[in-house]
Parts: sequence; structure tokens; C-alpha cells
Amino acid sequence: MSFGMGMPASTAATLGTMADSAAAAVAPRSRRYRPGPPDEVFFPVTPMLDMAFQLLAFFILTFKAPSAETHIDLHLPATPAALPSGPRGRARPSPSRAIDADLENDLLVRAEADDLGDLKALRLGGAILPDLPALGSRLRRYTQLLGNRPLRVRLVADDRLRYEPAARIIATCSAAGVSSVRLAQPGAIPALRGLLPGPGAGGGAR
Amino acid sequence: MATRSTSMISPNLTPLLDVVLQLITFFMMLVHFGSRLEGADRAVRLPVAPAALPGSDLTFDRLPVSLDQRGELRHGGRVLSGAAASAWWAEQAKIRRAGLELLPGPSLGDELPTVVILRADRDASYGTVRRTLADAQEQGFAQFSLVVLRREQP
Repeated sequence: MSFGMGMPASTAATLGTMADSAAAAVAPRSRRYRPGPPDEVFFPVTPMLDMAFQLLAFFILTFKAPSAETHIDLHLPATPAALPSGPRGRARPSPSRAIDADLENDLLVRAEADDLGDLKALRLGGAILPDLPALGSRLRRYTQLLGNRPLRVRLVADDRLRYEPAARIIATCSAAGVSSVRLAQPGAIPALRGLLPGPGAGGGAR
Repeated sequence: MATRSTSMISPNLTPLLDVVLQLITFFMMLVHFGSRLEGADRAVRLPVAPAALPGSDLTFDRLPVSLDQRGELRHGGRVLSGAAASAWWAEQAKIRRAGLELLPGPSLGDELPTVVILRADRDASYGTVRRTLADAQEQGFAQFSLVVLRREQP
């Protein structure tokens, strides 16, 4: 081990002892040796500040204002008739289609639109609901009752309904813990045919 | 004769450094928040759905499309409607199936793993949105993500 200037440790220790002896000889014996105040230690902050400013400039330049955008995930099974594997003999049973057969027993959310396309009436099954929070609280109750079993909802809405209230319904269902939301054609559910307005009033089903 | 002081004046940079580090921390924390999804279109005003929860991360394979107020499909500067939109969905599905066949490993089944990110205008009719999704479903797309706003943006 060596110290600065390539000096061996033993030499440095010897020199240190000699210097102490010389200082003791020069100083009057009546005075005790008191070390002076230590030199002020300067920490070089400038390079660190340069680096910090570089980082700050980078983050400011790449900063994007927080967006309120979010997304609602939907799993809508591919339509079996159009799947390309049928004619080529590669048809495989899809789990989502197997689940789709159970959807006859799922909850139906019915949204009716007024002439301007706004939400006029909202029903869960046969019950009329006053607003979306009521729908959310009912769905949350059903989710708790079902426990681990998935709760699925079919949305049957008038085609002339504006997309915004429809998106709010879907978001409410999703936030209430509904595992799957399907978008049904207005005339596709036999149980509701009597409840639905005709094609002239509700917009034609696809 | 007055003597000039030769002592060096050194400003105290520590508080400045503290503030800068605070700012860096602030920006670093905000980097991952509120990321805007791709496919934004000025012609589309997204619906506001306060009940929507923060979305999860999307997969790598995404197909962003927009649906304007008139129900026309927009993608990459193209505006499609009616039969042209249906043909476009078929073309996209064909491209993706061709890509999937080149990938090694087990087949993923009939449904495409692509996530369709739909930005529909708030004033578009629900019927056009549903028909657009149905067009995509007919071509094998099954994963959809509806982009909404959690609050009104200025």
C-alpha cells in the first residue's frame, strides 16, 4: 500500500512522527497544542448542477400533459359465420363461442333514446332505473352476490342513441365488475322483442 | 489606500440543487401517467365517461381506428365508409393472418389477437359504432378497446 506521490506507508509514518516532534520542539512548553479550525471543505456542486439541469431539460422537453384518456376493454367474439377456417377445414371450437351460448341467461341492459339521441330510459332486465349510478349500484350488488362467478351483461340500445351515453353505460358496467359486456342487436333477443320499438322508431338492426 | 478583497465569492448552490432535484423527481413521476393512446384524430371528440376506470396496458399488436361524427371510419389519413370500410377490415384481417402464419409456435385459433383501439366521436350514433364493431368481428377481430375521457379536457 502506498500513499500519494508513490510514498510507501512506512516512510509516511516516519515523516509524520518527525514533523510532530519538530512542532513540539518549536512550540513553547507552557502552551498546549491546539489545532486550528479545520479548513472549510467545498463540495463541488457545479458539475452535479450541470447534470441536474441536463436531466431537467430532458424531462421538460419530453413532458406530455397528463391526459384524461382511458380505455374500456371489450371482448366480442368473432362472428362464427365469417371465420375463414371453416371452408379450409381448420375449424376449431373457440371457448368464447362456447360461452356465448350461455348469454341467453345474462343480464340485459336496455337503453332507449329520445329524438335527439339522448338517453331517455334505462332498464336492467324489466326494472326501470332512474340513472346510471343506480345501474352501477345494482350491478355491484349482483357482482357481490355472484362471488367468483362472472357477471355478464348484454347491452341492447337503440341505434340512434348517441355514442356518449352508450359509452357511459358500458363504462358503468365495467366499473361495477361486470366481466363481459356484449353489444346486442335490438331485434336479436326474442325475450325482448315485445319490449322493443319497431325498426322505424328504434333504428333498424343490422 | 483601500485594499481590494481577494476572497473568492462562491454562491451557495445547494438550495438551487435541491429545487432542481425536486423538479426532476416531479417530471420523472409524471412520465408514465396519462399516456395518450395512439390514433388521435382532431375530427373525433371522445365521449366523457367519468365512471371509466384507468385502463391497463395494451398489447403490442394494436390497430387504432377512429369513427367520426358521420360514422365514417378513419385510419392513417384515409376516410372509409360503407362497403369500403368492410373491405378495409377484411384486408387488415388478411394481413394479420398472413403475419401470424409466419410466426413459429402453436396456432392462436381463429380469433385474431389484435386489439382494435376504437376512437369514436361522442356524437356518432351507437348504431354506427355497433356496426363498425360487427364488421370487425366478422373478419375475426375479437379484442376491442373503446377510448373515452374520464373528464372533459380543455
